[in-house]
Amino acid sequence: MDFYQSVFMGFQVALQPGNLLFCFIGVLIGTLVGVLPGLGPVAAISLLLPTTFHVAPVSAIIMLAGIYYGAMYGGSTTSILVNIPGEAASVVTCLDGYQMARKGRAGPALGIAAFGSFIAGTVGVIGLMMIAPPLAEMALKFGPPEYFSLMILGLTILTFLASGPMWKALLMAAFGLFLGCIGMDTLMGAPRFTFDIVELSDGIGLVPVVMGLFGISEVLLNVEQSMDRSIFETKIKNLLPNLKDWADSFWPILRGTVIGFFLGVLPGGGAVISSFVSYAVEKKVSKHPEKFGTGMIEGVAGPEAANNAATGGAFIPLLTLGIPANAVMAILLGAMMIHGMQPGPMLVKEHPDLFWGAVTSMYIGNGMLLVLNLPLIGLWVKILKVPYPILFPLILLFCLIGAYSLNNSITEVLIMVIFGLIGYLFKKFEYEGAPLILALVLGPMMETALRRSLLLSAGDPMIFLARPISAILMLISLFLLVFPLIPWLSKKRAVLPKGEADD
Amino acid sequence: MPRLNNDQVSAAVWLAVGAIIAVASLRYGLGSFDSPGTGFVPFWAGLAVSLFSCIGLVHATLKQKRGAGWRPVMRGFMWRKSLIVLAALLAYSLLLTSLGFVLCTALFMGFLLRVVKPQGWLVVIAGSVLTALGSYGIFEVWLKAQLPKGPWGF
Repeated sequence: MDFYQSVFMGFQVALQPGNLLFCFIGVLIGTLVGVLPGLGPVAAISLLLPTTFHVAPVSAIIMLAGIYYGAMYGGSTTSILVNIPGEAASVVTCLDGYQMARKGRAGPALGIAAFGSFIAGTVGVIGLMMIAPPLAEMALKFGPPEYFSLMILGLTILTFLASGPMWKALLMAAFGLFLGCIGMDTLMGAPRFTFDIVELSDGIGLVPVVMGLFGISEVLLNVEQSMDRSIFETKIKNLLPNLKDWADSFWPILRGTVIGFFLGVLPGGGAVISSFVSYAVEKKVSKHPEKFGTGMIEGVAGPEAANNAATGGAFIPLLTLGIPANAVMAILLGAMMIHGMQPGPMLVKEHPDLFWGAVTSMYIGNGMLLVLNLPLIGLWVKILKVPYPILFPLILLFCLIGAYSLNNSITEVLIMVIFGLIGYLFKKFEYEGAPLILALVLGPMMETALRRSLLLSAGDPMIFLARPISAILMLISLFLLVFPLIPWLSKKRAVLPKGEADD
Repeated sequence: MPRLNNDQVSAAVWLAVGAIIAVASLRYGLGSFDSPGTGFVPFWAGLAVSLFSCIGLVHATLKQKRGAGWRPVMRGFMWRKSLIVLAALLAYSLLLTSLGFVLCTALFMGFLLRVVKPQGWLVVIAGSVLTALGSYGIFEVWLKAQLPKGPWGF
């Protein structure tokens, strides 16, 4: 099937009324969780995962993907109007977006955020369509050693890009790897660290861990602070940016799109990092860097484009290699496996309807988001005015129901609560949850690839260096690991901003 | 002796966690490189946790020598509220099957609305009852989520 036929088939799937509805529900919920501070796309997708068990796999993936890129759109609203990022990828939008609102330019800020997101999101999807199929062809040549080395590289990149000291990120990844080992040893059929708890024999569920680390812990942190927040009272007018705004934003949107897409592709990169990098680049190339932070539209357009382009890029490693680039993709991987599909190089061939249907639905979803974000901005502002003391019990309740309905088990709920406490302590002591989540998901895959590689080589670990692709991947990982030890290079890493990871 | 800083304390805890994981993995059998056993990967994961925490300890100790001390993690926060929320979550988890979804949810919502940032009784009662019934309608009736019934059948 050639490219155009595949795209045509994808649109046929995505335009089915049921799938359109799921796409709409996804982007609507995504925008909502993006707007609401304290509930990110990771928690929202985890929460809604059980509700997709009864629908067709393609509809489920369309909806869950919609939540992800929808949240990137919605996140800018709170950053601009309240100076509180709705989700982590919009942290940097606060800097200039809120200042624009204070100067009475909330409308153009929201407008350029939505248009920039739309343009970048669409370009990201085109990139995904062009790159994913040939990459999947190439990945067919991968054996266990290449997969193992690739997963090591993914984890290394994530720990390298994490904020704070690298030892903390590596420690989190190692602990996540251990958590991934809990349950039945797939090669030997023996249980490990299950303590005779039946629910643990399938391993620690990703969803309760994610909801605990990212959802419950966030609420615990929010309730101990003042829960009053004020929305900048201004009449939002002129949502359509004027010609000067467009001229100022054109290149930032373009640069943000390229940065976001390529950082999104890297396992461990993602929307948060790309938004910060885009902001740093805009400041660097600007003729007036000193004015950044005072309401420059470039500071909104670039990062908002970057975080949306990153969502398209992030699908590439998942759909072609079966390796999630971030925590959201990790949950999508889990969702696809629950629906009986194995993301990876064979996905495009075995389930072309799912692959092309999901990808083309993103075009449609991006269009829907433009409609949702601009004319309905008043509605989102009203939702923002729901007081947090009323909102947080609802968030907790949704998490509780979500965890319970996974397997109708209280154990899953308890695991979520325990990880909520652990996540709270992680944040107090400045440990990031993202490397742990990625390692938890990759752990079982890595273990299988490692053990198969060692069986193949009769116990010779040099197999990872003897095969060229694997050797290159390992050498890049090694370089990234020793990178912080080289003083002048590590200074460059230190300028990476402190931000919550994706996911 | 100066007080330990945050990273020293947390790295010491991780060192212990890593050691426990590595030792506990031994009983599953490490196997050999040409035939790795069930405990092989968790053992190396535990060892890696210990190794990185040792690096962290050194790093934090060097920082301490440069004057980085303990930064209070609770001061200035209303941490008792977090504790109350955590207790409510635990109570909900433990009582859900015996009380049933609707009653347990209503009590949970009412408690949080009234205690954490006290709302008026009207908001508390209406909020808890409507949320319990509404979520029951959405998840149990519409999405067929099979929530626990309790002795009252709901």
